[in-house]
Amino acid sequence: MGENIPPADVPVVPRAGTVYGVLAEYDGVAPLLEAAAKVRDGGYTYWDTYTPIPIHGLDEAMGIRKTRLPWVVFGAGVSGALLALLMQWWMNAFNYSYVVSGKPLLNLPPYIPIIFEVTILLSAITAFLGMLLLNKLPQLYHSWFASRAFARRVTTDRFFIGIEARDPKFDIAEVRALLGSTRASQVETVVEPAAPAMPEQVRKYGLPVAVLLLAVALVPPLLIAKARLTPRNSPRVQVIADMDQQPKFLPQQANPLFLDDRAMRPLVAGTVAVHHANLDKFLYQGIAEGQWATGFPMPVTTTLVARGQARFNIYCTACHGWDGAGNGPAAVQGAARSPESWVMPTSLLDGVVRERPNGHIFNTISNGIRTMPAYGDQIPVADRWAILGYVRALQLSQAAPKALVPAERQAELR
Amino acid sequence: MAEVADIRRDNVWLGGAGRAVAIVAGAVGAVGLGIGGAIAWAQPDQRAHFFASYLTNYCYFLSLGLGGLFLVLLEHLARAGWSVVVRRLAEGIASTLPVLCLLFLPVLWGMGYLYPWVNPRGDLAEHLQHLLEWKRPYLNTGFFGVRAGIYLVVWLAISYYYLALSSRQDRTGEPRLTLRLEGLAPVAIILFGLTLTFASFDWMMSRDPFWYSTIFGVYYFAGCVVGGFALVTVVAVLLQRGGRLVSAISPDHYQDLGKYTFGFIVFWAYIAFSQYLLIWYGNIPEETQWYVRRSHGPWGGVSVLLLLGHFVLPFVAIISRWPKRRPALLGAVCVWILGVHWFDVYWLVMPEYSATAVPLSWLDVVLFVGMGGVCTARALLWLGRRPLIPIRDPRLEESLAFENA
Ligand code: HEC
Repeated sequence: MGENIPPADVPVVPRAGTVYGVLAEYDGVAPLLEAAAKVRDGGYTYWDTYTPIPIHGLDEAMGIRKTRLPWVVFGAGVSGALLALLMQWWMNAFNYSYVVSGKPLLNLPPYIPIIFEVTILLSAITAFLGMLLLNKLPQLYHSWFASRAFARRVTTDRFFIGIEARDPKFDIAEVRALLGSTRASQVETVVEPAAPAMPEQVRKYGLPVAVLLLAVALVPPLLIAKARLTPRNSPRVQVIADMDQQPKFLPQQANPLFLDDRAMRPLVAGTVAVHHANLDKFLYQGIAEGQWATGFPMPVTTTLVARGQARFNIYCTACHGWDGAGNGPAAVQGAARSPESWVMPTSLLDGVVRERPNGHIFNTISNGIRTMPAYGDQIPVADRWAILGYVRALQLSQAAPKALVPAERQAELR
Repeated sequence: MAEVADIRRDNVWLGGAGRAVAIVAGAVGAVGLGIGGAIAWAQPDQRAHFFASYLTNYCYFLSLGLGGLFLVLLEHLARAGWSVVVRRLAEGIASTLPVLCLLFLPVLWGMGYLYPWVNPRGDLAEHLQHLLEWKRPYLNTGFFGVRAGIYLVVWLAISYYYLALSSRQDRTGEPRLTLRLEGLAPVAIILFGLTLTFASFDWMMSRDPFWYSTIFGVYYFAGCVVGGFALVTVVAVLLQRGGRLVSAISPDHYQDLGKYTFGFIVFWAYIAFSQYLLIWYGNIPEETQWYVRRSHGPWGGVSVLLLLGHFVLPFVAIISRWPKRRPALLGAVCVWILGVHWFDVYWLVMPEYSATAVPLSWLDVVLFVGMGGVCTARALLWLGRRPLIPIRDPRLEESLAFENA
């Protein structure tokens, strides 16, 4: 293969001095449209029109086929919708499944706004970038600018048609004749300009200046990096303090005002906080004569047990289940998620719990037991006893002696 | 550059054919309204149904009239050029507003049947009674009437002003009139928005006085605009079929009408969804009850019909440029839209009358034909007295030359 003959299908980089193409100038829209139709019918490929304003009907005169951009945008929109759906579905139903206000995990209505936004986002970005890409923009230089007429007037008041020399049908005489036969005000052969020489100053100082600028540009990131790596004792600078710093003492902090240097003050000996006297040990702690109490501090009535049932259903069923057997929804969920470490709630119908004295269970409710948390802060004393009453009723209901079953329903027993 | 369509050879007059259609429509309409009224008169047990159906059809035709007025105002507000060739049609649609004002009177007459707050039932729960008591300063018959009067007067005034000046320009050709209309458009459109919103609160939302949705007015507005654009399109297609405005209205105009119809179909869905999502998510009984009524049983079916017919189908049908430039196709889609739009209004009004069944009946048909006939007659008579395009509008030339890139 000869050194200086490039293969036919590799585009030739135009060399200075070769003909770039032929340019025709028009001073109105109508002659331009006519000429464009002529060139189109001449069967040229590498040619274009250049106008200072958008012109209706030019696409048709040039024989440009409809843009494919809408389809690309449509595809982007659809993938945006699917992407958003998938993302939310995965995040909400798999990666971090978390029930919010009782809604199902996979739950279309609240997804829709985000699906909508992402659809628009991808469509818009694709439309913008696709437009640039299909138009081969940005393009910083074009050889037509070698023509003075073109460079000076194409963006103000003249219209141009340019046929490029790389067109397979290009024949300079023919092209000039074709364009000459239109109502062109001027036809010009444009020669590829010589690449402009690099100015002296740029050649001399270009590199040092570039290096200097780069070095200066590195200063801010370096300062930031340094600040991030250096530990300091002084508080950080807060532009807007919000309520980060408040003039108050937190638990366990020091306060030199007091002799013991503690901000938290111990109870003064012999005092009792309001509503904290709780002198009745039976009522408040379930202890009678130094032992867990076995009775109730109040009369056990149906009202009390009904109240207990309502409270039990609110506070205990999540773990212990409606019948106290220990299979509440929270327990079931927890066990399913971390079977190795989950402690199931004790069945309240169990022998152990049956045998527990009343005071013990009351204490369990008030202060919690082992892994079960305390409910004393949330449930008032009387309600805790009421719950205990209901727990006893539950236990009885699951193992009642036959004699307690009403006579008319004894037959149903198996 | 495209040449300006030569409309000198276009027929821009409705002429005798229009008058004939108007007379027939008016007669049929009057008969329809008469039959409906007679039935309501003769059968007291049908009255609640009659008034609910009347309100449905009233709000439907009102939405078209207001939609037409909105198109007129919008054109002036935006100084739009492209739409001048179809503005007279929108004006014709808006010219039904005086008739619609008269048609409102029966609603006042039927208030007791339509609005539970007029004579609250004795067995209402205490908190509901309390709620009605609380709303009494707003929801009482006297103030209701006064407000209705205000809305109607505002619409009459705006439509009279815009239609009269536009017709005057046909005779005098003063460009100054256009400037005056444009100058007033911002005020007019704000008044329009406020009156439309409150009218929809009063006339439709207060059918369930315990329910409220602040976006309700926007929802009705979206329906109005969809209806307005769809109807202008249909009217344009019909007129061209009848040999009017043949070269004045080009596929480019249809494409823009189609774009707006499409856009407002999406807007409607957006608003409908916004209302639904917040109520669904909040899940507060006093808000959800309205949707509960509309999402179970046969009304659930109507809701699905709206989702598919009022959004998905038109969306797919006219998203592309191709159908928008084919008048027959676009017109067919717009007829469909006008049909489902009726069901949209029906769905707003009716479930408060019958929560468990969709009470479609011949009453709806009779009243639809009645009101539609009377409104059509009025619009045709109005259009018959002036050219079908604003022939001396300063932007007419721009509109005729309009091309979609
Ligand atoms: C957050 C879940 C949870 C709730 C709510 C809960 N419990 Fe428990 N409960 C447990 C667990 C877990 C155990 C077993 C603790 C262990 O073995 O570590 C338990 C054990 C018990 C026991 C047996 C203690 C014993 O004597 O061994 C009783 C009695 C009891 N709960 C009563 C109640 C009552 C009454 C309520 C309602 C006020 C309640 N629990 C609410 C989780 C719960």
